[in-house]
Amino acid sequence: MAASIDGVFEEILKSSILSARVLVVGAGGIGCELLKNLVLSGFEDVEIIDLDTIDVSNLNRQFLFHKQHVGKSKAAVARESALTFNPNASIKAYHDSITSSEYGVNFFKRFSLVMNALDNRAARNHVNRMCLAADVPLIESGTAGYDGQVELIKKGLTQCYECQPKAAQKTFPGCTIRNTPSEPIHCIVWAKHLFNQLFGEDDPDEDVSPDTADPEAAGDAGEDALKISTNENGNVQRVSTRNWAQSCKYDPQKLFHKLFHDDIKYLLSMDNLWKKRIPPTPLFWGNLPDAVAGSSRNEKESGLKDQKMWSIAECAQIFANSCRNLKNQFESLKEDDHLVWDKDDKNAMDFVASCANIRAHIFSIPQKTRFDIKSMAGNIIPAIATTNAIIAGIVVLHAFNVLKNNFESCQTAYLRPKPTHRNQLIVPEKFLNPPNPKCYVCSPKPEVTLCVDVNSMTVKDLEEQVLKKTLNMVAPDVILDGKGTVIISSEEGETSENNPKKLGELGIADGSILKVDDFLQNYELSVTIIQRLVPKDGPDFEVVADPSQLKPKDDDKVESSTANGEPDQDDDILQVVEEDDDSSQQFDSKKRKTDGETEGGISKKRRTEDVIVVI
Amino acid sequence: MVGIDGSSELTEDEAELYDRQIRLWGLESQKRLRKARILLIGLQGFGAEICKNIILAGVKAVTILDGGVVKDEDASSQFLAPRDQLGKNRAEASLSRAQQLNPMVKVTADPQDVADKPDTFFGEFDVICATECSVEQLIRINQICREKSIKFFCGDVFGMFGYTFADLQIHEYAEEVTVHKASRSQKSGEPAAKVAKLSPVKETRKQTATFVPLQDVLEFDWSSETYAKRVPKADPSYFLMRVLLRFRSKHGHDPIPKNREKDIEELCKIRDEVLTKLRVPVEKVPDNLFRNVFAEVSPVCAIVGGVMAQEIIKAVSQKESPHNNMFFFNPIKNVGFVDHIGN
Repeated sequence: MAASIDGVFEEILKSSILSARVLVVGAGGIGCELLKNLVLSGFEDVEIIDLDTIDVSNLNRQFLFHKQHVGKSKAAVARESALTFNPNASIKAYHDSITSSEYGVNFFKRFSLVMNALDNRAARNHVNRMCLAADVPLIESGTAGYDGQVELIKKGLTQCYECQPKAAQKTFPGCTIRNTPSEPIHCIVWAKHLFNQLFGEDDPDEDVSPDTADPEAAGDAGEDALKISTNENGNVQRVSTRNWAQSCKYDPQKLFHKLFHDDIKYLLSMDNLWKKRIPPTPLFWGNLPDAVAGSSRNEKESGLKDQKMWSIAECAQIFANSCRNLKNQFESLKEDDHLVWDKDDKNAMDFVASCANIRAHIFSIPQKTRFDIKSMAGNIIPAIATTNAIIAGIVVLHAFNVLKNNFESCQTAYLRPKPTHRNQLIVPEKFLNPPNPKCYVCSPKPEVTLCVDVNSMTVKDLEEQVLKKTLNMVAPDVILDGKGTVIISSEEGETSENNPKKLGELGIADGSILKVDDFLQNYELSVTIIQRLVPKDGPDFEVVADPSQLKPKDDDKVESSTANGEPDQDDDILQVVEEDDDSSQQFDSKKRKTDGETEGGISKKRRTEDVIVVI
Repeated sequence: MVGIDGSSELTEDEAELYDRQIRLWGLESQKRLRKARILLIGLQGFGAEICKNIILAGVKAVTILDGGVVKDEDASSQFLAPRDQLGKNRAEASLSRAQQLNPMVKVTADPQDVADKPDTFFGEFDVICATECSVEQLIRINQICREKSIKFFCGDVFGMFGYTFADLQIHEYAEEVTVHKASRSQKSGEPAAKVAKLSPVKETRKQTATFVPLQDVLEFDWSSETYAKRVPKADPSYFLMRVLLRFRSKHGHDPIPKNREKDIEELCKIRDEVLTKLRVPVEKVPDNLFRNVFAEVSPVCAIVGGVMAQEIIKAVSQKESPHNNMFFFNPIKNVGFVDHIGN
């Protein structure tokens, strides 16, 4: 333990380490490495929190865990292992979520320093706010493959985690998913939606049937369309996909015929769609191609079972088997319960891989292996021991400087896959990034503008979609400014009668200001309402940090289906690139960061878009 | 050992364990890793980090060679030897924890001193990584590696400062480069107008890098016209390394924490000698740098050990451009950079 051996450190560092109490949030790839570095450096009062349990795929880098620990609490096992490095340390482990209300501002105030080793943006946002509220320095870090980043967040001195908007989750237009897929990812998203339609949580935005309201197909809904009435959302009116599937007892052949023959025939009847596209080919269960597409290419990297390309006939068999198994799993659940798609569940993964490939074949899109589909559908960010080790090392060097009050030496540092043009592999920025005065989290008077149709959004949606999901609050209270009307109370049940009401019914109109207060996060936000009708197939609302940035919407870019949901929970994700399924794009965007380093860093690029999230 | 069944294909267990890294460096790299036999010399904090990382990566075998005993200072970064093993041989004391990191890798401890090993000993490895060695031993082992075509790495961590060196001789590797090509194939579903544009295509190219032996790095002439000009702007790390290696040769050990003030004085003296001989101004290595060179500090072992292990992985998998030939970590500026030294 370096700090308890005389002469290793200078006196000032030695005594600060010995007297510090630190919190590590996350016991995954970076967390394990951090904990090791901390106890070896001589920190004697460390607390670590993680709600996760250990999985086999963690063991290639989360070195405090071994095979016999699979299934156990990460925090608890990390503590045990780290204590063997320094039996004098006191380590407190919490198997819990840091966003739980037990960990309030007073909990955070107990620490000299907090270090994040998290894998998702929601928790990072939350800890950011807690550390700002408690005025405790936070060291934020993340890795993705060979890339990594370490950043100090200190109230009033540096940017906070939310000063710069992060790229929104990649999404696709609903009609691309439902009618005109052109890339493998479109088929994978469709297959995940299908899973939810059949076995999972029902989400009307995840419809998988042909979309007759596709603007491109307008006016030629097709002869068949006339036989089936369409509802106002443009969905083919019939019993829900799930009810239909249940009525035919999830018979794989019948499902296959409907999804991959009848629905495709229907799409073909929308001729406008196929004037400039290759039309899809409906499939017959009894007559499926046996040849493997592109087999010469994947001979080269044969080996892993999951990397073998399936023929369409094989896909159909796998589809049938996974359907039967999922049906049994689903039916064994309680009434009203449903399955949750999980990349590590064999049947759920087989189902999505086979459906995606069958659909890809129909639309003449290249097929993918189960291995690749798992990456894309599960949003797996590759992770290795060395990157995590290097990043955790830099975090602890930052921690030394924070303890010495030497904040000026804590510039954001990046680890690059290759040396930059100046031959740097570990690249510090030249200066600390000052706070964004318009930040809706750390500025003295945080405010945002919410563009929404007050006559269609409910109070429940305001709470769940806007305040919790988009603005990352945990337990918000909302008061209509001027009138003092309580719109939402964080007290259980106090305002539940408001939930189904539209905002307009409670007197919220264009120009209204909502005073939002999250007691746990000690965070007050002023929300200005701008009345706006919901564009067709567009987002229900938009949150903007800087109203001068409001610009007309580009209708083509409007989304409705998210690419692949939350990123893989067991990986540490570099904050700026997380939730991006396209790795080439990730590295391209980072290339720009490298180039931008001489021009003032990545913040410049990130500052160009001020729209926070488009749902 | 479990999983190593002699076939060239990965088992299901291996595929599951190594899933996240196979998704990064590919199956071919993983197959090359599982054939690699590695000798790791010196197992203090820095060595322990390299050891951990390459065992986790899934090489075939790692031999840890260390003739020293577990010391008090090991507690500042050596996490493989249990604290109650003070005074025991460091390699043997570390074996059990090293093996637990990955039961699929064959880990062997060798308690001998590297100086007592005959040249023939080194022939059975694909990669040799030497830490905490004297310059004489480094040059000897590097020479043996050249004769036997073994990839050679060395490096050290002194306090918060660290460096690595690689001599891969003539090294062939595959590198993925992005080239912009006009794509002709029409994607289904895409309107035809979008077709003929330049799009980035990834291509794998075979490359060759040529390395020099460590001796060239140590005999490098900084007083020549070209390089004397570079000195004022150069980072002090190379020169700091030379001073520390000289201290090691002269005293047979590295600066000792409990002799802190005395050793800092001695380092200043050695700095004056070494830099004067190199005809580099002594101010290049200011006195205050010597305040951070004691023991091996854990976070820096993690950084330099992470970089070194990744270079070993790159060399074994023959994928991506290796650092030719040095990496330095400067803790004052928090910067890690690659440099080529030697002609």
